[in-house]
Amino acid sequence: MIMNRWKYTSAFMVTVLSAVLVMSGCTKSDSSNNSSSSDNTSTSTNNAGTDTKSGEKITLKLTGWGAPAEVAAYKSAIANFEQDHPNVKVEFQSISSGDYDTKLTTMVAGNDEPDVAMMESATIAFPLAEEGKFLNLQDFLASDQQITLDSIVPNITYSQAPGNIIGIGPGPETFGLFYNEDVFKDAGIEPPPSDISKAWTWDQFVDVAKQLTLDNKGRNATDPNFDPKNIKQFGINLPTWWGQYSNFIYSNGGDFLSADGKTFALNQPAAVEVIQKLADLINVYHVAPSPLQSKNIPGTNVALQTKKVAMAIDGQWATSSLAESKVHFNVGVLPVMKEPVTTVVAGMFSIFKSTKHPQEAWELLKALLDPEASLDMLTNGTWMPAPKDWYTDSEKLAKWTKDLPARPSGYQGAVIDMLLNHSHATPTAYVKNFNKIMDIVNPALDKVWLGKQSAQEALDSIAAKAQQQVQGRRDVE
Amino acid sequence: MRESRLKLTAGFTTLLIISVMFIVPFVWLLRSSVMDLSQIFIMPPQWIPKPFHFENFKEAMTVVPFGAFFKNTLIIVAGVLIGTVVSSTIAAFGFSRIKWKGRDMVFAILMSAMMLPGAVTLIPSFLGWKELGFYDTFYPLILPSYFGGGMFNIFLLRQFYMSIPQDFDEAAVVDGATYFQIYWRILLPLSRSAVIVVALFTFLGSWNDFMGPLIYLKSDSRFTLALGLQMFQGSYNAQWDLLMAASTAVVLPCVLVFLVGQRFFLEGITLTGLKG
Amino acid sequence: MEMTAKDVQPAGTRARNKFSKREKKALFYGLLFTAPAIIGFIIFTLGPMIASLYLSLTDYNVFKDTTHFIGLDNYTKLFSGEDDLFYKSLGTTFYFVILRVPAVIIISFFLAILLNMNLKGRSLFRTIIYLPSIVPAVASSMIWLWLMNPDLGLLNTVLEWLHLPTSSWLFGEGSVIPSVVLTTLWGIGGTVIIFLAGLSGVPKSYYEAIDVDGGGWYSKLRHITIPMLTPTIFFNTIMTIIGSFQVFSEAYILTQGGPNNKSLFFVFYLWRTAFRDTEMGYASALAWVLFVIIMIFTVLIFKTSKSWVHYEGER
Repeated sequence: MIMNRWKYTSAFMVTVLSAVLVMSGCTKSDSSNNSSSSDNTSTSTNNAGTDTKSGEKITLKLTGWGAPAEVAAYKSAIANFEQDHPNVKVEFQSISSGDYDTKLTTMVAGNDEPDVAMMESATIAFPLAEEGKFLNLQDFLASDQQITLDSIVPNITYSQAPGNIIGIGPGPETFGLFYNEDVFKDAGIEPPPSDISKAWTWDQFVDVAKQLTLDNKGRNATDPNFDPKNIKQFGINLPTWWGQYSNFIYSNGGDFLSADGKTFALNQPAAVEVIQKLADLINVYHVAPSPLQSKNIPGTNVALQTKKVAMAIDGQWATSSLAESKVHFNVGVLPVMKEPVTTVVAGMFSIFKSTKHPQEAWELLKALLDPEASLDMLTNGTWMPAPKDWYTDSEKLAKWTKDLPARPSGYQGAVIDMLLNHSHATPTAYVKNFNKIMDIVNPALDKVWLGKQSAQEALDSIAAKAQQQVQGRRDVE
Repeated sequence: MRESRLKLTAGFTTLLIISVMFIVPFVWLLRSSVMDLSQIFIMPPQWIPKPFHFENFKEAMTVVPFGAFFKNTLIIVAGVLIGTVVSSTIAAFGFSRIKWKGRDMVFAILMSAMMLPGAVTLIPSFLGWKELGFYDTFYPLILPSYFGGGMFNIFLLRQFYMSIPQDFDEAAVVDGATYFQIYWRILLPLSRSAVIVVALFTFLGSWNDFMGPLIYLKSDSRFTLALGLQMFQGSYNAQWDLLMAASTAVVLPCVLVFLVGQRFFLEGITLTGLKG
Repeated sequence: MEMTAKDVQPAGTRARNKFSKREKKALFYGLLFTAPAIIGFIIFTLGPMIASLYLSLTDYNVFKDTTHFIGLDNYTKLFSGEDDLFYKSLGTTFYFVILRVPAVIIISFFLAILLNMNLKGRSLFRTIIYLPSIVPAVASSMIWLWLMNPDLGLLNTVLEWLHLPTSSWLFGEGSVIPSVVLTTLWGIGGTVIIFLAGLSGVPKSYYEAIDVDGGGWYSKLRHITIPMLTPTIFFNTIMTIIGSFQVFSEAYILTQGGPNNKSLFFVFYLWRTAFRDTEMGYASALAWVLFVIIMIFTVLIFKTSKSWVHYEGER
């Protein structure tokens, strides 16, 4: 009996083995195909340095990450590019965002880096730039006919030092105050303004948030009998990610570092006041749910859709999932502390210095910035275009904002006007050693969000340690 | 085995309760795979999607070239499975049924392979394979399984081999059997459960392996299903509906393999019969 | 018969004599059978291990063109307290190991016993218990974040409904590690399966003997199941310890080390140092410290195993 069973198992093994042999036959033919294509690459590298005449085949390697729709946008940009440059073939390698850095690091270690790569300012982009691994795109921008620093929206380029641009973003992302229109209608409250000149002050904002925070008996947070232990609907979803709270720090005249880049500044009054006010939303006014760190699950769309929160501070990209959830949402400007500000965050495309074809790589990078190729991403709400005229030219603007579920009535004022007139660079763009500083700041802020310490206490207690990690700013000499 | 009715009922009830808890993630995955993006995270949760979005599967499989990835995965899994089962059973035999000088010392040294975090050996290993000219091939993923098949498996099998009484070997030796015959005719059949466990784990481990393919492959014509699954995470939003559909499509073969595989050790081996 | 009797003798007793013919034969065949594993270890594992050991003595940064040998500087920095995250993450990891290892072993042991009973639909039950181990991490981590959301999640909703105290789960300083342990308990299917395989090797006649003696459930467990399963318990304990010390993906996917660094697991910190901060040399030093710790635990358990692990084949 046992032996019988065993015979079956070994028979199964043999079957599998033969299957593998057959299949490995298939792969062999695959790999021979590939070796011929890599022959192409090696012949083209022989021409390195010399001007590439048309007809000589070139292969450019591009790495990036993204959801299928984003990858489709890149692929359509690549197709356009290959059509305009018949001698260039682009090998696009899509790597999952969570493991992108690991993969790229091993590629660099193995001298196999791509020609053009999508990069993120908060991770390994600057470590690579500091070792001189990227080309200075300033040189291309200075001489290019189609694209210059003035023709793209502000704050989407990244510089390792003044005059050394290491990456250009395919598009900006800004922050806004998203809200469920039905909630405001039901409560009879005027929704957040989308015109910056009419923006709420912080106190006005807190007041509305209180009125929209309801306990399970329907009492709002201004009611003396309000029960903060059983909240059914919160007024606001609290931002505890730097991308989000940086808006208010800048608005209040604060910053992560002093203007000369020499001093840690989050423990200065302007920043401390903001952090404390945000934390008070949770712990004093009970108008915001408890803080979650990195992952905001469920997202803003579900929070608004299910009326778990009335308003949410989030990035422009949230319009995509909000539209898909069919929420009656709209967007207003963030409450203003002192100055109207929105932080701009963006990915970037960089060109590795090791590329054999810098000019073609630059042309590819330009093609990737072309909004025509990524119209799907622009109209579904996830992206915004890089060229300025796509905001100022009404015909181009209409292409990605007119009559779309992801572009509600407040969009023009709260997103587009804010981006063009009141945008601020992301801290990752100019704070050197940002991650190490934030490794020290984040745990301290956790204590503030959890109501264990005041913002002043928490930030003062780590100021000396954070100061040790301060290495200056990239935007000052 | 005689077991009282009461005991069986108690066992059944306990298992039922635990099973409900254990099946939640899977049911969640299943129903999310046929849901609209807006329904997935709704509270209170909807357990029955309305309407069913079966087109998620179709869409997920167009976005990611499932056919090609499936073939690649199958080649790797089959290669690794054979290598691991053959070489780990042989090595475990050498580490348990033959007493040789220095055996336990060698075994201890080999065990150390599992103790160093992979993050720091990743780059040296990658550079080694690349130097050999095996970057972007399946060799770095398959070849090591033919050399021992991993210490986890060797250690597991060693434990089982050491639990099998020596009487069998002795009888075989009297009949003039060689070590290899003892391995093939006695140890392998008697440790069938453990071998199937090793095969099962190897199958699932290789099927779901993500880091290996990520590092050693670069052409998407060679990508595996596990790599394909990661392609739904976006820069800003993830396409959860498609991700769940793709995950379900990748997981279902594993569930089937398990359902079939576990039957092999349903019945214990009747050692007594052999012992005579 | 003869061969085995001699084989079983501890190698030490004969150490002074020259190798007997039999010992030579055993050595030859022992090495022959283990050769693939030994060669594989030397080729695929030893090289990268030595490389990382060397790198731990340097300031290696993948992106830098030059690497300097800096002796024990990395280790001095670790132990001097200059890097307070080192001790912090080590403490967090120990806490996790202490909480998780007994939970995994005890729960999976009893689950295996239940699943080994002659129950209706047990193959279905076995599959269900194993299911969470098959669900890809990208999908299951979302389920956890969603279930454990303090304000919107299912767990607190149910607790509130039952009028039980709620928890901040993954988002509270005190509750994060137990919560992570809880999420990993869903993945014990593998350990359960190994126990099941072990149980299948226990001859039924042994239990029948207890039945004859009038012993009950407890004496079967105490006198047969546990002693017969010691090799499997031993294996699962060692592997769970090694795995728990190297916990990574939970921190990476679920918590990013927060809140307030309370789930900053050692390997997560190591990974962050290696791949985000690109300090590979320093990360290698971290890895070797963990290597030594795991090694010490493993050796200790191996040493004690002689007194509590019973191998039928070694009597």
